[in-house]
Amino acid sequence: MKKNISLILGIILVFIIIGIWVLSFVHMPYNPNEMNISNRFLRPGFDSDYILGTDNFGRDILSRIMYGSRNVLLVALVSVTLGSLVGIFLGALAAILKGLTEKIIMRIMDGLMAFPGILLAMMLVAVLERGIKGSIAAISIFMVPVFSRLVYSMILDTENLLYIKAAKSYGSSKGQIFFKHYIPAMLPRLVTQFSSSMGSAVMIETSLSFLGLGIQPPFASWGLMLSEARQFFLVYPYLAVAPGIAIIITVLGFNLMGDGLNDILISRRSNDE
Amino acid sequence: MNNPVELKNLHIKAGNNTLVNNVSLTVKEGEIFGLVGESGSGKTLTAKAIIDLLPEGLTYTADKIITAGKDMLTASDEEKRDHIGKKIGYIPQNTVFYLHPLIKIKNQIGDGYIQHMHKTKKEALEKAEVLLSKVGFKSPKTVLNYYPWQLSGGMRQRCNIAMALMNDPKLIIADEPTTALDTTVQKQVMELFKSINEEMKLSILLISHDLGLVKRYSHSLGVMYAGQIVESGCTETVFNEPGHPYTRLLIKIIPSLKMKKNEPLTEIPGFVKDKDRDSKGCLFYCRCPKAMDICKEGVKEHTDDTGDHYYRCNLE
Amino acid sequence: MLSYVLDRLKSSILVLFVVSIITFFVLMIIPGNPAQLILGTDATPEAIAELSSAMGLDKPLYQRYLSWLLDLFKLDMGKSYVYGESVTTLIGRSIPVTFSISIFAMAMAVFIAFLFGMLSAIKKNSIIDYFSRSLMQLGTAIPSFWIGMVLIVYFGVRLKVLPVSGFVPIDRGFADFMKSIFLPSLVLAIGEVGTLLRIVRSSMLDSLKQDYMDMARVKGLSAGTIYIKYALRGALTAPLTIIGMQLAKLAGGTTVVETIFALPGLGRLVLTAVEHRDIVLLQGLVMFITSTVVIVTLIVDILVMFLNPRIKSFHRGE
Repeated sequence: MKKNISLILGIILVFIIIGIWVLSFVHMPYNPNEMNISNRFLRPGFDSDYILGTDNFGRDILSRIMYGSRNVLLVALVSVTLGSLVGIFLGALAAILKGLTEKIIMRIMDGLMAFPGILLAMMLVAVLERGIKGSIAAISIFMVPVFSRLVYSMILDTENLLYIKAAKSYGSSKGQIFFKHYIPAMLPRLVTQFSSSMGSAVMIETSLSFLGLGIQPPFASWGLMLSEARQFFLVYPYLAVAPGIAIIITVLGFNLMGDGLNDILISRRSNDE
Repeated sequence: MNNPVELKNLHIKAGNNTLVNNVSLTVKEGEIFGLVGESGSGKTLTAKAIIDLLPEGLTYTADKIITAGKDMLTASDEEKRDHIGKKIGYIPQNTVFYLHPLIKIKNQIGDGYIQHMHKTKKEALEKAEVLLSKVGFKSPKTVLNYYPWQLSGGMRQRCNIAMALMNDPKLIIADEPTTALDTTVQKQVMELFKSINEEMKLSILLISHDLGLVKRYSHSLGVMYAGQIVESGCTETVFNEPGHPYTRLLIKIIPSLKMKKNEPLTEIPGFVKDKDRDSKGCLFYCRCPKAMDICKEGVKEHTDDTGDHYYRCNLE
Repeated sequence: MLSYVLDRLKSSILVLFVVSIITFFVLMIIPGNPAQLILGTDATPEAIAELSSAMGLDKPLYQRYLSWLLDLFKLDMGKSYVYGESVTTLIGRSIPVTFSISIFAMAMAVFIAFLFGMLSAIKKNSIIDYFSRSLMQLGTAIPSFWIGMVLIVYFGVRLKVLPVSGFVPIDRGFADFMKSIFLPSLVLAIGEVGTLLRIVRSSMLDSLKQDYMDMARVKGLSAGTIYIKYALRGALTAPLTIIGMQLAKLAGGTTVVETIFALPGLGRLVLTAVEHRDIVLLQGLVMFITSTVVIVTLIVDILVMFLNPRIKSFHRGE
């Protein structure tokens, strides 16, 4: 058996990020929001007091990266959880009840899928408040059609499997069948999708905060740090390095983990991707 | 002049597992040679080794491989590909996906001809039309404009045959060419092979699990079992004086029209061995009705005076 | 064939109808009176009431929806209060920018994805395959705003070979036009290439395993014919569908890139509309962008059907 490199690498990267996140509650070198104008634009270096340097307000970049991980992970985790729960519920409802319910739900999902990229999130942010709550709501709604379509098609696929037909003929209720038979059958794909969706959620959150539509200053968020760096990075390019790498590690970690899980749980063909 | 096909001591392995063990066979000029065996006996792999088409992960060794008159062991990959494309027509078992489903017949039937014979597309289509009517199409022009999926299985197989004949090959390798077809079409296709063989003096290596078919159409045959040739020779001789118990059993179970109603079809109990195919003992030992203790240790090979009839068995 | 096209057309219209409902009603929840937003906080209540009734805000929701929909058909999307211009004009002015970078980006992504996707499938587990697979992962994990900043520093500031902001219309010189869209398009292409490369690779791997490849090899065809005419031809359906989806996505998903490179495209309009809660402008933009998405998807689906005549009339393993 070939070792599943994607999964191992993915788990390592996700652990690094989670480690930083946990550490941010235990100890941060400086107060991430403390400004110190006399120390602005200190370059990074291991011999420096500020390993990753300081920004235009003299704030410690390392502390801000650590603090930012809280927001990114919180928004991603909460919104993917919410979005997947609602999505699973609606998808299952459509597939099991059929008829008009199915038509209405699936048409709404088609409609939501027609919003490209972050357009839906941006539109929702325009309606809701900017900040953590707005981002969570926007990303959750973005995730709903992804999960509902997945669950819907999986239920239709498994519906004709023998053991489910058998359960139906024994007179099990729809709810019982759903929890006893469909959920276990769908779990591998849902887990895989959850991991990859975490990756896209992180990407959307950072994009929104980069555009100034997510978490508001002075709080730290990776997207916002890059956005603030835009004015100065031509002179101080290091400002853009740390937040960029933090985002890449997080997204890459969740994506690789999703791919790796997909290999072992679903396709079992690790060399075919 | 070399024979169209000459194989000496071909071994095919997947890792350390031997799939084909010590196979030698010769297809003579102008003859139909039937290679018979159950599925898993290694007959298709043997054919694929001849045309350099073994699946990834399989390796082969041989003392001699002559394909359509050329020594394959000394040829470079490019020479091999070129030679096989020019001199050999290949007719597959499964008719569905050997023709590219998304390309019209006219755009795939002639590309080998255009490349190897340096012809124009127009000349290729003219030749294709001639061959398509030869294989029994009444309006070849229409067929050329079809996608493969618009044709029936029998029609597709006839297209495959016409395509195999494009370059006037010296040798046709037909791997279970009629298995996927119904009985009437099967007969048409086999008659077509027969007439091609007679008219064009073309050699055909016919691979089949159907001994009845091989008996009717081939001049010589080889019987394969668990990766070995257990008996070979002139078709008539083998059927009249079968030497190997396996051949005898096979001959006995050919279903015939003379069978009485309700007479049960006989079968050979057990399965083809798929491990330890390189052992010295007889591989048919477990299923052989006449197995003796010495069969576990080794097998005696018999060849008659003309050197044509060969079989391996400890029975005299 | 025709029934398939009609079927797709019908569902496309249905999707657009659903989108129009979502857009209209979601943007209705916006807190605050739009008339107040337009007139500002120091407007008199009378002025607000007057403008409200002029905008039809006092009518019931469904009536407002219907008249909005009707105007939409007449391509009248109202007037943006931020710009004071008609939304149609604003969109018309931004289209060249966004579509130029989207199309050029997809052209780059398609070229790279097909080149490396095919090579990596043909030479599976070779160095080029590992390179492609890394590209595939990194492409989807690198945020476009970050790679955009990196490219600006490198090409624009270090090498000083390319402009780092602004858009030059094509009628003011092709070379300058290309220079102005090159970096933004490259950033977009990097974002899309990973997904496409993955699909091309797996479709190619699948196609290479098919029986027709054996036949092509036995026929001794040249590598070009084998890989392009046979293997690639059998591997086009899925990548084409994805290209359509990506093109559609870029038509409305370029906000970030347009922001970094200061391009006056649709994405910038969306951002302005969101920042200033310019509902009329946002409604128009969303409807325009989603319509583009739906139409592009429809066209690609029909194109795929022509390339793949078996759809609806043939099932594998017949």
